[in-house]
Amino acid sequence: MIRVEDLHKSFGSVDVLKGINENIESGEVVVVIGPSGSGKSTFLRCLNLLETPNSGRIFIDDVQINAPKVNVNKVRQKMGMVFQHFNLFPHLTVMENITLAPTMLGKFTKEEALEKGKSLLETVGLSDRADSYPSQLSGGQKQRIAIARALAMEPEIMLFDEPTSALDPEMVGEVLDVMRALAKSGMTMVVVTHEMGFAREVGNRVLFMDGGVILEQAEPNELFSHPREERTKQFLSKVL
Amino acid sequence: MYNYVLYASSFSDEFYTCFIKDDRYKLLLGGIGVTIEVSLFAILLGLILGFLIALCNLSKIKALNVIGKIYTDVIRGTPAVTQLMIIYFVIFATINIPKWIICSIAFGINSGAYVSEIIRAGILSVDVGQTEAGRSLGLNAKQTMRSIIVPQAVTNIFPALCNEFITLIKETAIVGYVGLVDIQKAGDFIKSATYKAMFPLLGTFVIYFVMIKILTLLLGRLEERMRRSAQR
Repeated sequence: MIRVEDLHKSFGSVDVLKGINENIESGEVVVVIGPSGSGKSTFLRCLNLLETPNSGRIFIDDVQINAPKVNVNKVRQKMGMVFQHFNLFPHLTVMENITLAPTMLGKFTKEEALEKGKSLLETVGLSDRADSYPSQLSGGQKQRIAIARALAMEPEIMLFDEPTSALDPEMVGEVLDVMRALAKSGMTMVVVTHEMGFAREVGNRVLFMDGGVILEQAEPNELFSHPREERTKQFLSKVL
Repeated sequence: MYNYVLYASSFSDEFYTCFIKDDRYKLLLGGIGVTIEVSLFAILLGLILGFLIALCNLSKIKALNVIGKIYTDVIRGTPAVTQLMIIYFVIFATINIPKWIICSIAFGINSGAYVSEIIRAGILSVDVGQTEAGRSLGLNAKQTMRSIIVPQAVTNIFPALCNEFITLIKETAIVGYVGLVDIQKAGDFIKSATYKAMFPLLGTFVIYFVMIKILTLLLGRLEERMRRSAQR
């Protein structure tokens, strides 16, 4: 579903991604771990072109999305993204946050979007907060709304950029629960996270990134129990 | 005691000479009208120009950036009174339109530079994550700007914009340089006609202060209401 070939990205003189090759199948949940500065967020942000790669190719369903003349907006409509800092729209209610894009982009009529919004709010357990503003929600609630907002576009792929890193510890669980349910429903997910428990339990595959490359990858139990690379062992010994 | 009475009576005499005699207060009232007229049109023009220049400055097209940059640089780098005189005596020298319109244009052009910087700063003050969230949903740059960034920027911009309006109104006190009779110039006329300085200047002073105070109160109330609705 997603194919990445020799992806390079630098910011000024700093090379952040130094050649990433990766295949992600439909329905797979891929968890990306690694020390900070290893390029995992940049990799994720390249997938929906929030960052423009310097070189390399990214394919979604065998269509190269970082080619000239590709309508980036159309591509992004197929990919939802959840951010570390939620990035809810503070001037809109929860329901307006969810329905804004689908109605503006003509995916749903106003009524359809409202229906969809209601059912999404139910999914994330926040039916009673439709008319609240983001400032009235806790961090965990905000992130669940952000997930609902992304899902409202009915994406085929969901990207998560450290979705629980900005949360108080007691709110991490509620967000992971939503993500777990989403994974069970068969959504293709790429998750950058420090939640090793989640990676082990929900991930089909774990990628360990360091220094701008994918140093090692395996299915979770394998990677966590028998890491091959010295650098991976070092990292895991610190976080587990 | 006698001295005080004399003093008081000369006080009221002077007041009479400056404001009542020969209907001199009418000069000031006319001045108020002119100041309001010039300010109002200048604010409107400044808003429109400022918005356009801000778009230039934020645009990805290099040529527009350069135009915007030169505009703000030149206007902010020269005194308003010089700009006014150049526009009046040079650019509009041979064109026959009312003085107050020329002055409005001059102040509008001047204000536009400041307004554009205020708008630009207001838009840049909205967290970049908001743009990313909008774009990640598939909205294009224009849709993101219109429905996500601008509504948030407006609340940030408003107080600075009020400040700019107030500065502008006070700045119009230089229109006397091109012979337009606003509040300041009306006071000047009375001063030269009566050879008295205190009352005409105090009068001018108080009129400006009251006008600006009323405006500040109104804008403050508006701002309060905006903030309340933005924070809900």
